[in-house]
Amino acid sequence: MSLQILFDALSLGGIYAIAALGIALIFGVMKLVNFAHGQFIACSVFALILPSADAVAVLGLGALPAGLLIPAILLFGAGLAVLAEAFVFRPLRNASPVALMVASFALGILLQNLLLVTYGGRPKAISLWPELGQPVRLLSAEIPLLQLFVIGAVGVILAGLALMLKRTRIGLEMRAAAEDFGMARLLGVRANRVISGAFALSGALAAVVALVLVAQTGVADVRMGGQIMLVAFIATVMGGMGSLPGAVAAGLALGAVSALLQAFLPPEARPFRDAFLYGLVILVLLFRPQGLFASASAKPRV
Amino acid sequence: MSPQPTTPHQIRRRMAATTPVLLALLLLAFVLAATLLGDRATARMAAETLIRVTLVVGFWIFAGNSGVISFGHAAFACLGAYTSAWLTLQPAMKTLLLPGLPGFLAQAHWPVLPAALAAGLLAAALALISGAAILRLSGIAASIATFAFLAMVNTIWANWTPVTGGTSSVVGLARYVSPWVALGWAVAAILAAALHAASASGLALRASREDEVAAAASGIDRYRHRLLAYTVSAFFCGVGGALMGHFIGVINPDSFYLSLTFLMLAMLVMGGIGSLSGAVVGVLAVSLAVEALVRLEKGVTLGTTTFALPPGSQEILIALAMILVLVFRPAGLLAGREIMLPARWVTGRGTSNQ
Amino acid sequence: MKYTTSLLALLALAAPVQAEDITIGFAIAKSGWMEAYDTPAATAAKIRIDEINAAGGLLGQQIKVVEADTRTDRAESAKAGLDVLDQGAQMMVVSCDYDFGAPAALVAEGEGMNSFFLCAEDVKAGIQGVGPNSFSSSVLAPVQGATMAEWAHAKRNARTAYVLEDTFIEYNKGICTGFDWMFPTLEGASIVGSDTFKNDDASIASQITRIKALGAEPDVIMLCSVMPGAAAAVRQIRAAGINSLILNGSAVDGSYWLDATPGLSGFVLPVQGSIHGDDPRPEVETFNAAYEAKTGARPASQYAYPGYVLIDLWAKAVERAGSVDGAAVTAELEKMQDEPTAFGPRSFSAELHHQNTALMQIVEITDGKPARVDEWRISQPVPMDVLLGK
Repeated sequence: MSLQILFDALSLGGIYAIAALGIALIFGVMKLVNFAHGQFIACSVFALILPSADAVAVLGLGALPAGLLIPAILLFGAGLAVLAEAFVFRPLRNASPVALMVASFALGILLQNLLLVTYGGRPKAISLWPELGQPVRLLSAEIPLLQLFVIGAVGVILAGLALMLKRTRIGLEMRAAAEDFGMARLLGVRANRVISGAFALSGALAAVVALVLVAQTGVADVRMGGQIMLVAFIATVMGGMGSLPGAVAAGLALGAVSALLQAFLPPEARPFRDAFLYGLVILVLLFRPQGLFASASAKPRV
Repeated sequence: MSPQPTTPHQIRRRMAATTPVLLALLLLAFVLAATLLGDRATARMAAETLIRVTLVVGFWIFAGNSGVISFGHAAFACLGAYTSAWLTLQPAMKTLLLPGLPGFLAQAHWPVLPAALAAGLLAAALALISGAAILRLSGIAASIATFAFLAMVNTIWANWTPVTGGTSSVVGLARYVSPWVALGWAVAAILAAALHAASASGLALRASREDEVAAAASGIDRYRHRLLAYTVSAFFCGVGGALMGHFIGVINPDSFYLSLTFLMLAMLVMGGIGSLSGAVVGVLAVSLAVEALVRLEKGVTLGTTTFALPPGSQEILIALAMILVLVFRPAGLLAGREIMLPARWVTGRGTSNQ
Repeated sequence: MKYTTSLLALLALAAPVQAEDITIGFAIAKSGWMEAYDTPAATAAKIRIDEINAAGGLLGQQIKVVEADTRTDRAESAKAGLDVLDQGAQMMVVSCDYDFGAPAALVAEGEGMNSFFLCAEDVKAGIQGVGPNSFSSSVLAPVQGATMAEWAHAKRNARTAYVLEDTFIEYNKGICTGFDWMFPTLEGASIVGSDTFKNDDASIASQITRIKALGAEPDVIMLCSVMPGAAAAVRQIRAAGINSLILNGSAVDGSYWLDATPGLSGFVLPVQGSIHGDDPRPEVETFNAAYEAKTGARPASQYAYPGYVLIDLWAKAVERAGSVDGAAVTAELEKMQDEPTAFGPRSFSAELHHQNTALMQIVEITDGKPARVDEWRISQPVPMDVLLGK
């Protein structure tokens, strides 16, 4: 039972962590709170099926074998985010963070309504990797294979990303930009390259969340991604805005707390689970206003 | 008669005083045009727009003066709408739909105006309590805390079934909100916002928005001024929520959640968050643009051909327009300026002395 | 065909006074996410209107349809109501969902006019939430839950049940209300546990862990949910190796979501009529064929049917009342007791403008294929205080 809860917490927290990382990357380089991230996720989900308003979905990209499908969807997510940066956020680079945020929100509405017009309002079913839909025994717990897959995928992605950020030049530049963008530029980091890179990475991470979600739930809905995005924002702030390890840690923590609340709250209180979760968030912020892992750029300067 | 203003500062103050008057006249002209020239649907559009003016001006009192973006104001509208429902619904209806209401509320059968005031006051009280904690935070942390606050209120409202009806809508609200009622409250919100902005507290708050450290060094207690603005702001959002409820007749926690939050934010930023006039103009511009696109979608007959946009294109076009406005005018349509009479008019001499 | 319609339109223009027509106003969602639910029911309503017109009309007059778009927005819904009113509507058909239909229905009520929800299944879509002239021809959500409880107990020997409620919308809660009311009253039956989730939860692993922690797998799981959350929950329940019979309400009818759990078995739901071509009543299949002829595809779910039924019932009441006056038609509708329709008998009373009991077809999904397996009508109507959640 307790081992099972650990797996539940890890699989939910893993999804939040990846989403939070996608948001933190962009916030780090251009102080943009990207409200379109949820729609990047939804668009990546719908990219799996052919555009049609019919009730029954026909797989498009989703019919490819996993070896081709995964890179194709990651590229799709990355491409979408890079295009969004080029057409919407680049012209706004010197606007206030509020204007940027509202622009991202407008972009989100745009994408959502485009999906609605192209695919219709009815949720659709996607059968992605049905072989994952069986339980396996692991120690004292019986874990759905799906859950193991989610946890494994999250682990691999986080490790890969950590390597990339630590070992490659673009990774170094991104970390530098996230710490202090102004200083990084002075030291020769090219803004366009880093920002495009951050968007591409963020879009690819949105596509990862999309794949995990589809594998987990088997459905596509124009509103999906929204709830995850909200939790991911909160995780980004709790982690200390711009701190990448912080975002991951806070995302994992939020998923774990949510799973624990669901497991241990009395039945009458369970519908109020999210109220408890968000109440805890406010408390944490009151005690650590700069987040759990504050980055240098989050502190006000005199 | 007051003496002729002489110093630039006096002239400026007098010019600022004309802003709320001009905005009120603008709204009056809008209502007159809509009710005299349009059909019933146009009148409803006018009422809806003015309710939004009340909400967005209320929102501006905090967000505009403090520079802190709040995502929590839809929660105050939610509380306001439900307070008015609790106070004005038929007691028999309440025992049926909301059996968990305490005795006093279950028996209450108030007229609509005191109920709207109570809605505002209760929202203000909630703001005072929640703000006391949240506003200790700065910048983005405060914004996200208000977000968490909104999500909390929404979860509670959607599940506290005996008192709020949960996800089930509360029905039977008297639909008394005509364009004129909405105009009254919108003008009240504008006057309050102008008075607050011109008050010592409003000035202090804007000073701390411009430069936090310098303001603190000048002895400004930012927290206290923010809390005051937050409370006043929540009052009008509470009233706006009550008006929304009595405009549609049916309320549901879902109508006071993310879409309302973003609508308010979008209108404010489109008009320009830096000025009261920006808030009002933003609401008018977005509402009119949406209405125009909706009509285009229904089809417009030009000569012998009917031209119609495909269904669903209104949302797409409005989102595109928002992005374009932000790209070309990042500070909003008014870019922080106020609508006011020119200096030579307020000095009464025919020419400006500056 | 196209020629005939334009010719007819010309004739209509040429005819001296067309105020003789009876006008029905559709204030429904033609854009936004509700559109997917409103359009099929509205199409079905128009099929019945065409049939009536072809058979000589109503009270000797032809029925004309006018429309306005609610855009899946509450405030726009009221404007759409006013819009169809200005176009001369004498009866109003409003959106499927209570929340999005009520603002328009209230406009109709203000004019003393009849309004019909296309397929609302909340008790408030009628007298309780709009007023004395408002109706819905669909079957209340608690009836669906109660039908599942009684049928599973009688036909599948269900003695233990686990209730999993999605707190997203009121419909879900209604299904669970009906099940919770009926199941414990049955011989030897008990609800062994319950839990809640949210429709957009990324994972319901914790809820599933709780089911697995029960000593024995429950006989049935009552899943009170709608798409997309319902499909996601089913996929996760089966992926965890839980094989209990899963029950749901009518909202998950249709085979479009079955790809989410390939090879799904042991999933049962109640419907007003089968879309799968195996309904024992020939009228249902006749309708399915008419729908296919009009739209090019068979109905995707049972939610087309209430649209057909509502026009059928209203037109009968109008014939009996001899006018379209709201109060007179309401009085005739309230006299209907087990009034036969193509989709089973319907009743209205002065207390309830809804079905608190109905003959439902039972559809079971086996190996990913849905098929009608049975029919069931609950032994007693769901009482009023249960409907009102007291």
